[in-house]
Amino acid sequence: MAKSPTPIPAPPVKIQRGAQSAAPATKPKKATNKKRRKRRRNPLVWFLRGLARRIYFGVKTASRVVLLVPILVFMVAFSYNVDRSGLFQGALAPRRIVDLMLQGYDVTNFEQMDERQVVQLFAQDVERAPEAIGIGSSRVLQFNRENTGVDTFFNMGVTGADVRDNMTSYYKMVSYGKTPKVLLWSIDPWVFYGSEAAFDARADADLYNEFLTKVLNVPTDYEEPDKVELWKALADPAYFQGNVDYYIKNRGQATVTDDEGNTIEFNPVQGDPYDQTTTIKRSDGSVLYDVAFRTQTADQIRTLAAEACMSFNSVHMEGFDAMSDTQIQAFTAFMNYAKDQGTTVILVLSPWHPYLYGYLLTEPELHKGFFEVENWLRQYCAQNNVPLYGSYDPACIEGLEETDFFDGLHCAGTGIARFFPGVPQALQQLETGTLPHPLAVHPRTSLESADPNVVETPDGETAETAQEG
Amino acid sequence: MTITWEQILAFLCEDQSMAVTSLLFIAFFAAVALVHYALPRVLRPYFLLAASYGFFCYDPVNRPLVGVLLGATLVSWLCGLVIGKVRAKPVRVLALLVSVLGGVGILIYYKYWNMLADSLGSVMSHRDNLLAPLGLSYFTFAAMSYTIDVYKRRCKVETNPLHYALFVSFFPTLITGPIERYPQMRPQIKKSRRFSYNRCAGGAFRMLWGYTKKMVIADNLSQYVSFVYGNMSEMSGPNLAAATVLFAVQLYMDFSGCCDIVLGAARILGYDLIENFDSPFEARSFNDFWRRWHISMTGWFRDYVYFSLGGSRCAPWRHYLNIVVVFLCSGLWHGADWRYLAWGLACGILAAFGAMTAKARKRMEKFNPLYQQAWLKTICQVTITNLLFCFTLVFFAAALYNADPFAIYGAMLQGWNGLAGSWHQVQQLLLDSGIDGRLPVVLLFGTFVVFAVEHDGRSVARWIREQVWPLRWTLYYAAAAAILFFAAFGQSAFIYQQY
Repeated sequence: MAKSPTPIPAPPVKIQRGAQSAAPATKPKKATNKKRRKRRRNPLVWFLRGLARRIYFGVKTASRVVLLVPILVFMVAFSYNVDRSGLFQGALAPRRIVDLMLQGYDVTNFEQMDERQVVQLFAQDVERAPEAIGIGSSRVLQFNRENTGVDTFFNMGVTGADVRDNMTSYYKMVSYGKTPKVLLWSIDPWVFYGSEAAFDARADADLYNEFLTKVLNVPTDYEEPDKVELWKALADPAYFQGNVDYYIKNRGQATVTDDEGNTIEFNPVQGDPYDQTTTIKRSDGSVLYDVAFRTQTADQIRTLAAEACMSFNSVHMEGFDAMSDTQIQAFTAFMNYAKDQGTTVILVLSPWHPYLYGYLLTEPELHKGFFEVENWLRQYCAQNNVPLYGSYDPACIEGLEETDFFDGLHCAGTGIARFFPGVPQALQQLETGTLPHPLAVHPRTSLESADPNVVETPDGETAETAQEG
Repeated sequence: MTITWEQILAFLCEDQSMAVTSLLFIAFFAAVALVHYALPRVLRPYFLLAASYGFFCYDPVNRPLVGVLLGATLVSWLCGLVIGKVRAKPVRVLALLVSVLGGVGILIYYKYWNMLADSLGSVMSHRDNLLAPLGLSYFTFAAMSYTIDVYKRRCKVETNPLHYALFVSFFPTLITGPIERYPQMRPQIKKSRRFSYNRCAGGAFRMLWGYTKKMVIADNLSQYVSFVYGNMSEMSGPNLAAATVLFAVQLYMDFSGCCDIVLGAARILGYDLIENFDSPFEARSFNDFWRRWHISMTGWFRDYVYFSLGGSRCAPWRHYLNIVVVFLCSGLWHGADWRYLAWGLACGILAAFGAMTAKARKRMEKFNPLYQQAWLKTICQVTITNLLFCFTLVFFAAALYNADPFAIYGAMLQGWNGLAGSWHQVQQLLLDSGIDGRLPVVLLFGTFVVFAVEHDGRSVARWIREQVWPLRWTLYYAAAAAILFFAAFGQSAFIYQQY
């Protein structure tokens, strides 16, 4: 019969009901009985002995259990770091982009990037706070380390950015404890527009609500997100196994695949970045358009600007006839918040193409909100001693040419150089009180207020306009 | 990110039922063990009783059925009391009948009502929402065994109803048994064991061992087995044959794995339960196999049915009939399905045939050239026994996967394409079913290790404590790592949980 730790029940033993127990063979001696008599237990001693025994075995058992903890730690750490579903480290593709950028590579395939995820992951993964960051829409994306003069500058602008994107980009840096010293904000007019049309569907509304509620104390419908789902994944062995599979599959591979096995097509730029046939994301977050787009003739650029005239309002400004008080409050609160964080905010107004701006001047009634913004901002900056560079009105920027643009909306690096001296100079001007006075510039808001110089009309002809008053 | 106790509790209690392989069960068990040993020994049985009812009632489905457990306990205890205290035989017989018929009645109502209703038509109506309480087959059999033992005077009557209630509802045994006997449990309940580190460490390893068997080997094998049996009509003979053999391994790993968890848990709490397996695949005859497989159930039927029918102390034809009847009961115990009944009948016929031909085979052994070498004889006998078991298991698997067993037998003979071709078919399907990468090696090696460690009925809990600590801790880590890397998560139910 096999050895067994627990004996299989012994064959039943018949018990005789009512049977007397067998008498002892010999009568026990009295002396023995005396010796065996139980002494009365002291309840306190008994209790303390029991307690000591329990503590001893409890500690002994716990110490052994602790030895198994490394397995759990390994599981959690591995799942957290590999994170095939991007629960903790962000989605795989943006993670790869940010990894490459942090290693100093420019990255291909800009058009396919989830720029907001890239910004989020940059804020999360960058080791040290950059000295300066840029925020704004695609109109800020030409600011780079060269034209800002800051070696650690990072451009956190995203295509189609609305006010929520702008503010949360900075908030992310602050919340990760990487507050930059300088914030370069290329303000778009729709920042002051309170309508839904001003908002971009891709923006992180929840994060913005969190920012408003927790930082600016503006009541929203924000609710603290349920993080339980996240740490459940860490404790989930099935997720760990998925990560192991993913890690083994992609280890040492030139191309990385996503959770569903699709190849992630974001790679380091090969060769001269200025000689690429596709748009690339530079390691400083700025964007370098492809050669063909960058080397258009003035006529080609004007054609693009003309096309933009018809769709101007559709870029977050449909029905923008007045600045929103709420947005003004949010802007003011944000500026104060940045100041409280010790960040110097430099505002930049990126110019519009002369043709496009000229077109807007012909129908000021349809762009009332747009034309209000710059003057209000100039007033604000003058009152609060905030550095302000550039102007929406290209005529206000000395020497700006049509070839300083890529299209109707986007000013090239050469254009930026005409109105922005760089961050160190701006800071120096701020420190020495030599900032250009914001109110010294008078952007045109209608044809009546336009410069007496020649203004180009939308039909492509030139006309002389008499300045009144 | 701060994690609150409420969140942890919500996470643990996410599932409605407390599966043995869930974190909730492990947390529940750890908490019970902790409080159990913190209490004075005299209070421990009462706490365990409360914990057992808590375990039973955790699943909302079971809550309305707690009355069944309570009723079965109370009726059998009262009947036991009457049988033990009253001398008048008619009263004792009546009490025994009440207890046994009560137990059988509950079983019939919850397990066989619908089968009978379907068979009898207008006499009984089909009940769609008839759910059996957790561990029904186990606690009713345990309760019946008590009253029969008291009646037969093999066991003293229990005067403390709470002690008896713990025996019936002891939560580790509610899952897949084993079917306990009161003479075995009584002294352990009466005098709770002191904490022993060695016992607990051995019990914990046994639980880990069980989890490894269940989650790494059984659950991964089930991918292939369920794939084959689920698409039976499209499967070739080699795959059906391979699936049947692998099902035998899966069933053993699943059931014995659960028993390891249960026995390990009970061991930690200071209780020794009946061993349910004794290296069954090392059996050298079909009857020997059934002495080693699901011991608590076969032992129950042997003691209370087979012996009651006269056992082997009767005419040979009665003896063989008794064997068949016991196996039929065993088949019926597994469920209300004709395929279980057919499985029991097949096993019964083979076992009866084995008993019938035992002497003749013994005499012929000396003429069998294969039996001249002891090791070759062992291999032959073990192989034949296991093949016979696998052969009968087709009925069992067919009931489980709702397939036609005779169609499986028929299909098993078709589609063979030489040894290499057949193996290629099996290999291809193994890969298609998800057993790919390093998993086949892990399964093969794991199965080998399990059989080697459990060789000759060795107790894993004791064996591990006899090893030097470096080997011991290597094994702890290896088992944990095997679960972490190779376990198939999300298939928590044990096959025997449904019976």
